[in-house]
Amino acid sequence: MFDQIVMALLNGILLGGVLALLAFGLNLIFGVVKIIHMAYGQFVMLGFYFIYYFYSSWSVPLIPAMAMGIVAMALIGVLTQLLIINPLLNAPRLNQLLALASLIIVVENLAQVIWGADYRGIPLSMPIIQFGDIYVRSSFLLAFGGAILTLLLLYLFLNRTYLGLGIRAVAQDLDMAKAVGINPKVIYILTLATGGALTGLVAAFFVPIYTVHPHFGASFTLMAFVIVVFGGMGNLLGGFISAFIIGIVTSVTAVLSSAEAANILALALFIGMMMVRPQGLLGTES
Amino acid sequence: MLNVRDVNVFYGEFQALDSISLKIEKGQTVIVVGPNGAGKSTLLQTLAGLQKPRLGSIEFDGRRTDQMEAYQVVEHGISLVPEGGRVFPHLSVLDNLKVGSYNKAARSQADTWLPRIFELFPILAQRKKQRAGSLSGGERQMLAIARSLMAQPKLIMLDEPSLGLAPLVVNMVFEFVQTLKQEGYAILLVEQNANKALKVADYAYLIESGKLVFEGSSEDFDKNPYIKTAYLGL
Amino acid sequence: MQLKGKIAVYGQIALLVVLVLLPFVVTSRYLTHIFTLILLWSFVATAWAYMARFGMVSLGHGVFLGIGAYFPMLMFNYWGVTPWLGILAGLVVAVAVAALLGYTCFRFGLLGDYFALVTLAVAEVSSLTVMALREVTGGSLGCTLCATGRMADMQFEDKRVYYFMALILLMGAVYIWRRIDRSPIRLALTAIEESEIAASSLGVSVIRYKVLITLLSAALTALGGALYAQYVTYVSPDTIAGVSVSLAVCFKAILGGMFTVLGPFVGSAIIVSLEEYIRIALGTSFLGLSQIIFGVTLLLMIIFLPKGILGSISEKIARRLDRVTVR
Repeated sequence: MFDQIVMALLNGILLGGVLALLAFGLNLIFGVVKIIHMAYGQFVMLGFYFIYYFYSSWSVPLIPAMAMGIVAMALIGVLTQLLIINPLLNAPRLNQLLALASLIIVVENLAQVIWGADYRGIPLSMPIIQFGDIYVRSSFLLAFGGAILTLLLLYLFLNRTYLGLGIRAVAQDLDMAKAVGINPKVIYILTLATGGALTGLVAAFFVPIYTVHPHFGASFTLMAFVIVVFGGMGNLLGGFISAFIIGIVTSVTAVLSSAEAANILALALFIGMMMVRPQGLLGTES
Repeated sequence: MLNVRDVNVFYGEFQALDSISLKIEKGQTVIVVGPNGAGKSTLLQTLAGLQKPRLGSIEFDGRRTDQMEAYQVVEHGISLVPEGGRVFPHLSVLDNLKVGSYNKAARSQADTWLPRIFELFPILAQRKKQRAGSLSGGERQMLAIARSLMAQPKLIMLDEPSLGLAPLVVNMVFEFVQTLKQEGYAILLVEQNANKALKVADYAYLIESGKLVFEGSSEDFDKNPYIKTAYLGL
Repeated sequence: MQLKGKIAVYGQIALLVVLVLLPFVVTSRYLTHIFTLILLWSFVATAWAYMARFGMVSLGHGVFLGIGAYFPMLMFNYWGVTPWLGILAGLVVAVAVAALLGYTCFRFGLLGDYFALVTLAVAEVSSLTVMALREVTGGSLGCTLCATGRMADMQFEDKRVYYFMALILLMGAVYIWRRIDRSPIRLALTAIEESEIAASSLGVSVIRYKVLITLLSAALTALGGALYAQYVTYVSPDTIAGVSVSLAVCFKAILGGMFTVLGPFVGSAIIVSLEEYIRIALGTSFLGLSQIIFGVTLLLMIIFLPKGILGSISEKIARRLDRVTVR
């Protein structure tokens, strides 16, 4: 039993890394464009389907297929910005929420119509690494490593480049950012492209771990929200920490009880946090 | 250099500026005074491109700027120091200055300018790595002005730079405006504190309720009895 | 009464007459069935709109639908409790959940976005709970009502009874809204929307009014879920709890125009009819196509017609009438 818990802990940390990528993307979009991307998990699902499609229908080898999937999702992100977010920048909150929520319906059903309700996946066998009685899947390790590396690169981008500076400025004070010469439209597109690319990346990491189906996105959308709100919406560090907390909690609960219980616990944590401290762990009252 | 003609600005149905016209020549220091809510901030925001006039035209350095986006206006050489010592609170002092040189023309100069700025503002050099939001009011105002310089402007617009600051600090700010003047920048200064402002001005405008009510040199203002009592507290 | 008002009232009376006569004039059982569904969903959408009109946008009304549907049905299937009583149990639970949700959210000042997210989470919890308790509820396979055909069990041979039940519920919902609209509650909640601080400084109990509307909305929605279960005799977490049905309810209200009295009715009519049409035309080969069309239509509507169909039309009519009368 102890071994199982340790493994669950480990898996929780490893998956936490990937979830941290999701949290980053959502927080970036919310912080900069001030919009909650309601269909973020569905975008991950779409990325997965893209990779699957390139691999199986176009016979593209796996790694290039993953790269193409990332690019495809970056483009989808840009399209989302241009077609949906841009026209609604000054619309009431409700309209923005509902517009993105309707994306949930469109993307899920598009997947169902095109690829059917069956589970699709790319069969990959990757080695399992053993430490004594503890087994770790190398796919998890790879995902974790890739996620941490990406987060590092993103950190450098935000803090050492002019574009990154521009993104941070727009997130803090849009008018001031305009007044120092930043073109917000470019920043928004960049933000959505990055957010989209991240979903493609997460999908790539998920390929050796999961199979995809039209409702795949739903649990990740909610998981991403739970993490992001728990850590403080718009707060990149908060999202990072929260991803690991939630990752570990759900992983261990799933082992101790059941997968559904884990999800219910995560949601209960979310609702609880909302009521006790709505700004999340590291958020500031705005 | 700056030619503002009959600019009308509306917020929805409310008219904030009514046929405002003003001119600024190269290297000139022009001030706009007027009571609270007269539309002074709106004027600066419009000149910066953050608001668009419904009627009228703004010409700067030979180009029409009234319909330009704010970032384009900055590229053309107008830099705004907004009121209240507004800085990017979660960025460091250094990052605040760097972001000031965001526009393409200024970026290449950023590295040469930073040391100069730190010479002019030693306090900022000390607090380089500090979060800008944790600076005092006066320091933030200095940072805001320093940041506007990083944009390589030809015209600097200051929105009520003395607001909320202690008298000693206010003196420092106005001394600084003198320095800017000597460096050759064109300056547009908006102030409620007419006394201090008139001392640095080459030319002045008085706005009340969105309308231009009086214009002239500092002496003209001094001699006008209405202005003397209403604004100069004499 | 102003011209605008007169048109509205006469229009609604005419509509009512048409709806009452419909099952007697239309012989096709199928069409009556479609209209029953339209009325049912209009009722639910109207109840949803109570909250949304005051800025409390719930993306999780599926939880109330689910409670209203599952409780009476399970109590009947397992314990033989007649739905006439079972529904009351469902209502009590729905109201309790709504009270908990409402009080904790509004007490802690949860605003628009966060409230919507919490309701979304609650909807997901409800659907997950149904699936977790699959021994009892049948999980994702759904649950079928034991058929007895007895009136005492709220089962009627003549399906037109359900039609009229739905019609009465809809009329009730519209009537209740009218009363709310004219009551101090409406003024209070509008004031709240404008400025919570100002409102509470006037002694208006912000929280109490918000919770009240939430309870009402939840109770009516649960009632709708109960009637749905009795009529359609089959429920599953996809159709009556969970996120997709919650969003579907929002769409129906918004498509027609959330702020107009009959907007939800118009929206439901359009959506239900279109769903049926697509189902017939395309069969199961394009399952999900109707949803795609709705999603895209809703997107386009939000961008181009944010007041919904009825809302935009009534705005145009109002403007025309203004021009006519102000001369």
